[in-house]
Amino acid sequence: MEKIKQNPIVKKLGFNRIILFCILILMYLAFSLAIPGFAGMARIMSILNYVYFLGFLALGVTFVIATGGIDFSIGPVMFCCALMSGYTLNTYGAPVAVSLLLSIVIGFCFGMFNGYLVAYIGVPPFIVSMATMNIAKGLGSVFTKTQSVSWPQANDPTGKGWFRSLVKVEGVPTGLIIFAVAVVILYIVMNNTKAGRYILCLGSNKEAVRLSGVNVRKWQMLAYVICGLMAGIAAIFFVSAYTTVQPGLGDTYNNEAIASCVMGGTSMAGGLASIGGTVIGVFVISLLQEGIMALRMTKEVQMIITGLIVIVFVYADVSARRRKN
Amino acid sequence: MGEVILTMKGIDKSFPGVHALDHVDLELRKGEVHALMGENGAGKSTLMKVLTGIYTKDSGTITYEGKEVEFHNTHEAQEAGIVIVHQELNMVGDLTVAQNIFIGREFKKGIMIDDRKMIAESKKLFDDLHIDIDPRAKMSDLTVGKQQMCEIAKAISHKAKIIIFDEPSAALTEKEIEDLFRIIRDLRSQNLGIIYISHRMDEIKVITDRVTVMRDGGYVGTLITNDCTKEDIINMMVGRVIYEEPKTHSMVPEGAPVVLKVEHLNAGKMVQDVSFELHKGEILGFSGLMGAGRTETARALFGADPKQSGDIYINGEKVTINTPEDAVKHGIGYLSEDRKRFGIVVQKTIAENSTMATLEKYMSGLFINKGAEKKVAEQYVQELATKTPSVDELVVNLSGGNQQKVVIAKWLVRNCDILIFDEPTRGIDVGAKNEIYKLMNRLAAEGKSIIMISSEMTEILRMSDRVLVMCEGKKTGEIAIEEATQEAIMDKATRDIK
Repeated sequence: MEKIKQNPIVKKLGFNRIILFCILILMYLAFSLAIPGFAGMARIMSILNYVYFLGFLALGVTFVIATGGIDFSIGPVMFCCALMSGYTLNTYGAPVAVSLLLSIVIGFCFGMFNGYLVAYIGVPPFIVSMATMNIAKGLGSVFTKTQSVSWPQANDPTGKGWFRSLVKVEGVPTGLIIFAVAVVILYIVMNNTKAGRYILCLGSNKEAVRLSGVNVRKWQMLAYVICGLMAGIAAIFFVSAYTTVQPGLGDTYNNEAIASCVMGGTSMAGGLASIGGTVIGVFVISLLQEGIMALRMTKEVQMIITGLIVIVFVYADVSARRRKN
Repeated sequence: MGEVILTMKGIDKSFPGVHALDHVDLELRKGEVHALMGENGAGKSTLMKVLTGIYTKDSGTITYEGKEVEFHNTHEAQEAGIVIVHQELNMVGDLTVAQNIFIGREFKKGIMIDDRKMIAESKKLFDDLHIDIDPRAKMSDLTVGKQQMCEIAKAISHKAKIIIFDEPSAALTEKEIEDLFRIIRDLRSQNLGIIYISHRMDEIKVITDRVTVMRDGGYVGTLITNDCTKEDIINMMVGRVIYEEPKTHSMVPEGAPVVLKVEHLNAGKMVQDVSFELHKGEILGFSGLMGAGRTETARALFGADPKQSGDIYINGEKVTINTPEDAVKHGIGYLSEDRKRFGIVVQKTIAENSTMATLEKYMSGLFINKGAEKKVAEQYVQELATKTPSVDELVVNLSGGNQQKVVIAKWLVRNCDILIFDEPTRGIDVGAKNEIYKLMNRLAAEGKSIIMISSEMTEILRMSDRVLVMCEGKKTGEIAIEEATQEAIMDKATRDIK
């Protein structure tokens, strides 16, 4: 076992990530055997719909968790973005491109807000994101006068449905391509830029980084800004796949995104993060969601399972650290 | 000395990668003060932690009052009558003295805490020890020395049969040390067994009956204090002759320019109106007792803590330093006394730590040039003789001395002109210590200016070109190395303490 772990290729990829990938494959095989008709392209395309928006959420929150923080507002912020931009589109007749851009801008603003409060004012991330979660829910509801918002279908006669090709064009998963590009970019940001370096280091020991003459507040805030930005982008992929958004919801996606991160090896204690791990985690969660639906179980069952996943993986992380010390 | 109360035999303890205790023996008699000596990292504290149940031993036996025992936590040890007076005081600052002494076993009147009885009992304890402390005072208002007296009173209130003193005198004034010794002699005459851990050779001769010496986790030997000389003990401790010759004259060339001038620096209670100058190529020693405000002065100067007032001039130009970022921009580097908390990011590699303060120089466009980063890290690993398999090793896997070298590398990569070394050799073994001394001398010779904060008198006298002494937040003196003696420094370091 130790020998396998020391193998340079395994070390590079990460032992835990390889295990998680095996779990993903096994899960897919298990669902395929248990449920007639589960295997096949149609099902995979349906799973992918869930992957994109959850993927962006999880990638964003990976940066926040890397600083040792947490963000419980991402799901509601994503919904708030989708509601406000969709309402502008439907009610004020804004062009689709403007609405999509608006969604990203709103996410960005939420990220700035969270980041500023955490990094510059010193409010604990837990409190900030809890408060922001409610603000995002309330804002979305007020703006839309508590109405649900439906985005145009692909075949909408006004031609406003073109944005759906971001996800799929005649069976080609364009969304997967966009997502893959985003993953590569964020991987480079995390591992090869100043921002990623300082975010990881300050997550591990903020005071030591500050005493090295680094403006830690700036970098800490940046993590939240990236997270908010991703929530804004996630909103676009959410409406492209699901059409209707209801005000006052979104919390469940927090847990799913955070579960994806911790499964992938990002430590809740900060300082360690894996973009690749988060991506595999997202696939596991998405597969789980699809499998549970196919088994005719409810969304609530899935909530129980994701909750347990978070506890199991955080426990594994904590006990691994304890062994090291 | 009475009969044997405690025998530790063949105690062995390993941590991953470290053989912390290698078959160590220790025997303590009733009515004895037994010194436990050794360099930092010799294993004294580990041995005491095994005794009091903080660590579990791998092998060996502990016999206490004729029975073999094994404690699983400090509480069990306390119940049995073995108590430690810690180096770092374990007191709750916001509670009163009496509340601290009886914490966890408060007297009750029904369901209410009986404060009056706790105060009366504390008073009795202090009277027995002939100490004058008000049991109603808030703990944080007492001096370090007084707080330690409270620790001792607390130990005695546990009906202790063995009291372990872990470097009790480190933070005390001379007057307080006298009081401490009087108390220890009292306790000895009451037939308690006392283990006394200290680095101060003079104290060992004065207060202890026997001395057990440890080196690198091993047992070296036990001597009767009266029958041996200081040199005997030192030789046992280091296993080789050490060269701790004091510096006889300043190495700074005549008329070297002033690179740093600090005027009327004020930052809270611990830094009051401190002014000094630092010359090019000078090592300025900051001496004083624990809590004298030396670290606080350095941190305020470096922008790590806010300051109320004061002007800083670098090379004659007035500069504003409000954050460490400002300080680093002006060429100041700070090596903290607490490496793990303030110096390094232990979960990151040597390469990543080395460029922490200089990352902008190792960028190609938006991306970190990991090749260049690795190269510069390797260069300093070689230059400082850091022991590591590669620069990709996590810093957490290095020993204390090598971690310190990584911190030094971080500032050398930055090429700072002014370096503040805060307790540079704390927790570092003798060999690595000498290397760090050599390095500091070399840096000074190259024209870097160094502020060295140190609590070790020998270090101050060996390294400094000039000594600045502080006491209770104020600068109390400046002594040229030619006139500096232990006595002269101590006199100034205790000037304001009654």
